[in-house]
Amino acid sequence: MEYIGEHLWAGQLGNLFVIISFVAALLSTYSYLRSAKEKEEHKDSWRDLGRLGFRIHSIGVIGAVGMLFFMLMNNYFEYHYIWQHSSKSLPLRYVFSAFWEGQEGSFILWSFWHVILGNLLIRSAKNWESTVMTVFTSVQIFLTSMILGVVIFDYKLGSNPFTILLREHPEFQNIPLFSSANYLEKLDGRGLNPLLQNYWMTIHPPTLFLGFASTLVPFAYAIAGLWKRDYQGWIKPVLPWTIFGVMILGIGILMGGAWAYEALSFGGFWAWDPVENASLVPWITFVGALHVMHVQKTRGNAAPTTFAMTIFTFILVLYSTFLTRSGILGESSVHAFTDLGMYGHLLSYLMFFFALGLTMFFINLKKFPKAEDDAFSSREFWMFVGTLVLALSAIHITIMTSKPVINLLFGTKMALDIGAQERFDIYHSFQIPVVIVITCMIAFTQFLKYKKSDGKAIFRKLTISSLSALIITGVFVFAFDYANPYYILMLFSAMFAITGNIEYLVRILKGNINKAGSSIAHIGFALIMLGALLSTSKSIVISENSSSIDLESLGDIKNNENILLYQNDTVKLENYYVTFIGKRKEGVNIFYDVEYMKKVDGDYITEFSLSPRIQLNPRMGNVAEPDTRHFLYKDIYTHVTYADLSMPKDTDPEKYGELATREMKVGESFFTSNFKYQLDSVFVNNKVSIDSLNDSTRIEVIAQFSVIDKIGNISKASPMYVIENIDAGKVLSMPHELEEAGVILSLNKIIPSENKYEISVREKNSVKKDFMVMKAIQFPMINILWIGCLLFMAGCIIAMINRMQANK
Amino acid sequence: MKKTHVIAIVIIAVAIGLITVSLGNASTYGNFAEAFDNPDSKIQVVGYFNKEKELVYEPEVDPNLMSFYMTDKEGKECKVVLNQSKPQDFERSEEIVLKGKAVGEEFHATDMLMKCPSKYNDGNQKVYTD
Repeated sequence: MEYIGEHLWAGQLGNLFVIISFVAALLSTYSYLRSAKEKEEHKDSWRDLGRLGFRIHSIGVIGAVGMLFFMLMNNYFEYHYIWQHSSKSLPLRYVFSAFWEGQEGSFILWSFWHVILGNLLIRSAKNWESTVMTVFTSVQIFLTSMILGVVIFDYKLGSNPFTILLREHPEFQNIPLFSSANYLEKLDGRGLNPLLQNYWMTIHPPTLFLGFASTLVPFAYAIAGLWKRDYQGWIKPVLPWTIFGVMILGIGILMGGAWAYEALSFGGFWAWDPVENASLVPWITFVGALHVMHVQKTRGNAAPTTFAMTIFTFILVLYSTFLTRSGILGESSVHAFTDLGMYGHLLSYLMFFFALGLTMFFINLKKFPKAEDDAFSSREFWMFVGTLVLALSAIHITIMTSKPVINLLFGTKMALDIGAQERFDIYHSFQIPVVIVITCMIAFTQFLKYKKSDGKAIFRKLTISSLSALIITGVFVFAFDYANPYYILMLFSAMFAITGNIEYLVRILKGNINKAGSSIAHIGFALIMLGALLSTSKSIVISENSSSIDLESLGDIKNNENILLYQNDTVKLENYYVTFIGKRKEGVNIFYDVEYMKKVDGDYITEFSLSPRIQLNPRMGNVAEPDTRHFLYKDIYTHVTYADLSMPKDTDPEKYGELATREMKVGESFFTSNFKYQLDSVFVNNKVSIDSLNDSTRIEVIAQFSVIDKIGNISKASPMYVIENIDAGKVLSMPHELEEAGVILSLNKIIPSENKYEISVREKNSVKKDFMVMKAIQFPMINILWIGCLLFMAGCIIAMINRMQANK
Repeated sequence: MKKTHVIAIVIIAVAIGLITVSLGNASTYGNFAEAFDNPDSKIQVVGYFNKEKELVYEPEVDPNLMSFYMTDKEGKECKVVLNQSKPQDFERSEEIVLKGKAVGEEFHATDMLMKCPSKYNDGNQKVYTD
């Protein structure tokens, strides 16, 4: 059939770019490999060919990026990828999120960053170019093969967004829609996941992928160093790259935290989700690598650790890719990508570079220079210990996140914990001591000299900063009422890291900004830890349970974090009086307006309003988004956990609403949004004896109800069920109206076999109140964390510029 | 032996010990039958929400309590009492993971994770037209 309106040229062009990029990567790798060989005569011509190959490869990747954007922006829903991630109603600003929502798009994004970094590398690598670029381009062969989508001997290699048409996709082939030639006129895309329709999702993935991409440069240099048996020369050129990578990856991870804090409903910025962990681990080892690089540069005795940390950082990025994309995490993470059946392909990508790194390392193991024992008072000794602690931290998180992999290998059935509190217990028990040790080292290690330093002098130098840290810690312990010794220790160590580095900045560096990068970054890191500690350990769920149910009866499961708010009722939450004002619908969002008030001299004064919302999305499912009020010293986070989504119709408040019918026994009760209805007793009012039953016998069955409103006022109602004439079966129900309350109760039926009564209730429209169930959390001092991020970034930039100038 | 090596070995030994302990404490995946055999241990059960049977969530009574029926992967059905508010679009969930333990005839869960079409997963594939 000839289909009308399809843009097959676009896919063909995109596919051409993909093929060009793959073939050019092969060509470039081979040429660089020839050029890197010792005994190659035409070194320079091979190198030039390698460069040319990389340039062509770059054109291919950038062309593919351009085509995918073009197709997304023009709604070419005939392509499965476009259909899957976009829709006609998707605002243009989310086209970026749609681009990298899927695996294919994010692989293209990752290749794109490699292309940018690779071109910079060609300009700066000088005599390292051929060896470094051989490794670099071989990674690009693997990456572009992920989007190649060709079938080789029944095995589909990669998934190509340009070649998979919706009508050819196995899941949609037999859909009647495709029997009409002009199906495109009717087709709309499935749309972007509403959770990703957030500005953080526009900048978080590219930043994170740039961070991932930047681990490749040190890896490529490390392999080149091992290859050429030059254990020292690669350090200098790689330092600025490493600082850049540590900065970008760190910022990328924190942006993910900011997204989670603003758009997700778990209430916090970090949940130790497997996918979060998978991106954190390479950052930790990257930081370790950066520090031993400094030791290796100055002392030349840390080659094995430096190589191992650098190589493992990249391997861990690949491992994280494998975890999040192969489908192995299964149901344990909400973040994981859709499984594309690329398990084997991803595993081979990981294993190839793992084997390469390991082989290169062990070939050289015996040749690494013998190092003398480091002095206890030397800077390198403590940097080495710190790196070891970082490595252990990474190992712990990796093992805890790898439970599905361990299960697969050893047949165990360990579960990745889904409970937030359990996750905190698992990770914090190990990682808080790590942070305490690391921040202490951050505080004093800079004061130490390489080789050997005067211990007593260091102690003297540290007096001011340690004492002031102690005093500030005391103030915080008092102000926030800390009792947990781990938290107090972490408070102190983080404070000490801050004061120690400030003192180093002022006294040793005398404010020389060029050299201040590491101190500022360290202060930033310590502030991040401090903010995380304060906001997490002292966050209070202010929406406590107010239900009439006794939670004790539930045993040890007790959760009372959500509160029910009726419209216009005011409830006291911690220091606030909170009122649910009402809801309003704007486009696809229903906003629930909540007012936070303070009581001043008996009057309620509105402090601020929040409008958490529920985004209606019939295609992908509704999503609740929190709203947070930011203060200097705290945040108030508010989130709808449950609410009625229907919008009220214009109704006469004096009319009675819909009839609600239910069966109940004596002694039972039920709730509506306004009253508790309790069936106290049922009695028969029969003044006539059985003997004298005749046509006119009248039997009254009276049900006695207590109607209890929320304040506890009780009104009594007694609807009747009257049997006028047994023989004729003439019965009637006599409802009871409580006018003041606006309630009509009636007894409709008696079910003797079950000893039950059918009753029904109607309430006046004016009585029926709207409600919402919400959760509110107070996060203290979270701004310290964000300030820390900025300082960390600033410090890294200064350090990077400083290293780049030193290399000139 | 060098000082650094001694310290390295000590730190690594302690870490291995700690990691082994926390791995040993990890909760396990299981099914309802196992949960009822070991009523004291917390277990994670994967299964499907039974859409035919009664789902009770009455925020007026308790906003933090819902109950429903779930069928585990072995096909055993059990009443679940979850100490949480009802998540958005619970009815649309395809697969759910519960964490909790058996109490009497019921499974009392403290945490729940849903795999919905609303997550990154594609879920039920439908082609939409205007």
